[in-house]
Amino acid sequence: MSETPLLRTERLCKTYPDGQVNALVEVALSIRRGEHVALMGASGSGKSTLLNLLGGLDRPTSGAVFFEGRSLSDIPDLDRFRARNIGFVFQSFFLLPTLTALENVQVPMFEGPLSARQRSAKASELLKLVGMSHRLRHRPPQLSVGERQRIAIARALANDPPLLLADEPTGNLDSRTAAEVLDLFAHLHRDKGMTLVLVTHGQEVAERAERIVRMRDGRICCEGAALIPVSATER
Amino acid sequence: MRFYQFILKNVLQRKARSALTMIGVAIAVTAVVALVGIADGFERSFRELYERRGVDLLVVRAGSSEHLSSSVPQQVGEQIRQLPGVRAVSPGLMDVVSFEQYNANLTSVALQGWAADSFLFDDLRLISGRRLQAGDENGVMLGMVLARNLGKTSGDKLEIANHFFTVAGVFESFNPLESGSAVLLIGTLQALMDRPNQVTGFQIILEDAADKKALLERVRQEIESLRNAQGRPWGIAATPTRDYVRSTSQIRMAEAMAWMTSIIALVIGAVGVLNTMIMSVFERTREIGILRAIGWRKTRVVRLILYESVLLSIAGAAAGIVAAVLLTRALTWWPLVNGLIRGDVSPQVIVQGFLIALAVGLIGGAYPAYRGAYLLPTEALRHE
Repeated sequence: MSETPLLRTERLCKTYPDGQVNALVEVALSIRRGEHVALMGASGSGKSTLLNLLGGLDRPTSGAVFFEGRSLSDIPDLDRFRARNIGFVFQSFFLLPTLTALENVQVPMFEGPLSARQRSAKASELLKLVGMSHRLRHRPPQLSVGERQRIAIARALANDPPLLLADEPTGNLDSRTAAEVLDLFAHLHRDKGMTLVLVTHGQEVAERAERIVRMRDGRICCEGAALIPVSATER
Repeated sequence: MRFYQFILKNVLQRKARSALTMIGVAIAVTAVVALVGIADGFERSFRELYERRGVDLLVVRAGSSEHLSSSVPQQVGEQIRQLPGVRAVSPGLMDVVSFEQYNANLTSVALQGWAADSFLFDDLRLISGRRLQAGDENGVMLGMVLARNLGKTSGDKLEIANHFFTVAGVFESFNPLESGSAVLLIGTLQALMDRPNQVTGFQIILEDAADKKALLERVRQEIESLRNAQGRPWGIAATPTRDYVRSTSQIRMAEAMAWMTSIIALVIGAVGVLNTMIMSVFERTREIGILRAIGWRKTRVVRLILYESVLLSIAGAAAGIVAAVLLTRALTWWPLVNGLIRGDVSPQVIVQGFLIALAVGLIGGAYPAYRGAYLLPTEALRHE
């Protein structure tokens, strides 16, 4: 018996009413627990829309997203679901500029059961994990872009989610810093067993994934590490 | 980090905006607390005037809501004195005069006419001179606030309605209203006002009784059914002190004016908070999107925005209350006020100020909180 995938989509469609843009057209995708997947495609190909739907940030026009076999549309409290199961990393980091690194990492933990002291201790640990233990009291504007992305990754890990969704996480970084951030993702995948889904434009970034899913005009056009056309796969 | 620290940081990091909102709320709360406090103080002063002396009933012309317009024949006092259960009766005549020739601000000063043997004199503390006595037709006693505003002391001459009087004494009353007034013998004031044998009303003290309420009711009925020599009713009303004060037209008007002005101030305050919070939500659209994306529930976003607006309102209220207390205290030194305003603001009015600020914060924050909570995370994150 095959293992239930961590994420699965079924005839997933997303249409934006203004301008009748079909951002996603009947997308079927399955991601195993512990897999490292890169979503590639040109601007407007639908990869970020797919990522948002996978993370429950948006609702599909039709079709469904299943997390561990359960449709997201059946989950009454999607906020709580996101807080517990998904870590988001954005291209522009989206850290809160008025908070220190240590405080930024604690923000998602407010929805959890930890006390203030436990939250602080856990945030310290996570910042150590991403190599930022020397910058606990710094605010985002006082940090380099690479450091900010590391803090954003630590924040994404705050509630120990099994799934990390990253939208162009190295898009704003120079190549050396980008490589460091990708090393960090690789470490989370390899040593922590996290499932990673990264949206990227960069071939080098994508090649570090186990599987590359390429999108065009809202559809999956190619899939697999060797960029095999989707029609050739069994799905 | 605790949730409240997060809220505090948000408010403190936006110093200019927070300060401006707080000032807006502070001005509204100052207006409310000062105006309602003054109206409330006016009522308390008026009530205290009677209650501190143990006055149980006030008798005036039936149907007169305006104290000064009441006119009752003085001989009714003799009939009241005969009633069982009545310990003391003091007739009083009251008028309002202007002392603009001495001080431009003294346009309405209370003149009181009392009987030389009235118990009302007993509570006055003499600062200089002496108490008025029978036969002091040309004597006047001045309350210390009025004496200060007139620049007069005992022995000085004082012109009242084109007649010259000698200041027999200067007194301090337990009550600021009284300390801003002048006292003449009742006969003198009747002659001055051309109201022979007429009084404004009577202050009545009853005997102690096990069932004071029953005694009060009985005497009240007996007074109202008194008749003149022709057997016709005098047309007078006897009212328990507290009820009388509450029904006085000046007090009701002062309260109504205070509340009306306060409501306007509050609406302005609430609009200020609403404006700030809606701008804050608009500016922080992306931040709210992030919070929602990382799992914050709608209710937490609502709490965040509401707590921020309530915090600003409560801080504004604290500043506003301090300002109102200082303002009220400062106003007592203004000659125009002449004892009409008490320097203290009652704790109830302060609590009211805080509750109103809380309401302003909740009302002003409600719509922005709703908007913030229902932002779609994906749209909020795209917001520039």
